[in-house]
Amino acid sequence: MTALAAAIGAGIALLLCAVRLFAGPTLYDRTLAANGMIIKLAIIIAAAGVMTTRAEYLDAALAFVLACVVVNVAVLKFFRSRTLQAPLARAEDV
Amino acid sequence: MDLGAVAELVRLGLSGLVIAVGLLLIAGGALGLLRFPDLYTRLHAANVADVVGSVVVVIGLAIAAPDWSTAARLLLLAGVLIAAGPTLTHLVAQAAHAAGLAPISGQYAAPRPGATRTSSAP
Repeated sequence: MTALAAAIGAGIALLLCAVRLFAGPTLYDRTLAANGMIIKLAIIIAAAGVMTTRAEYLDAALAFVLACVVVNVAVLKFFRSRTLQAPLARAEDV
Repeated sequence: MDLGAVAELVRLGLSGLVIAVGLLLIAGGALGLLRFPDLYTRLHAANVADVVGSVVVVIGLAIAAPDWSTAARLLLLAGVLIAAGPTLTHLVAQAAHAAGLAPISGQYAAPRPGATRTSSAP
């Protein structure tokens, strides 16, 4: 019952994050909103695992959060250098 | 009413209380993400209130968990969330600052080449 309340509350916050995801003026606002959406989705998955008393859902939530970290690092690096493989520079060039 | 039923009732009430506190924090973070004027203030709202709120909600779920393996995994999830949230906040803020996005309010702009006072898209 409390897990259902947690899932509903996190779902409302996820919808508010989705508004910022589509309305955000800069790229970084959208990144931040997508990050919050993924974390709230992990909370909803964890609440579903508690509701159905199955522990596999919690493994899925853990994998979700860890993938969120990796994807955020890759996306922000892409935003900075506009390529996924930035050219290397010698130390005496810079 | 034996002792086991009372303990169950106390456990569910405690988890409901903790989850309510966490949902209040998450609601504050989501409203701040929606209403604040600037990327940096939105970062402050979303990742101070939101990380603490999600960790508190997951700890409340761990109190309400039916068995020990579920509770242990939920505590592991709380640890991952509390490690990942500030890291991602730092990454977003540092990338935006390095791209020249200045805060719109206050007396000082970001000391970067190409920084503008408006929060327009880079």
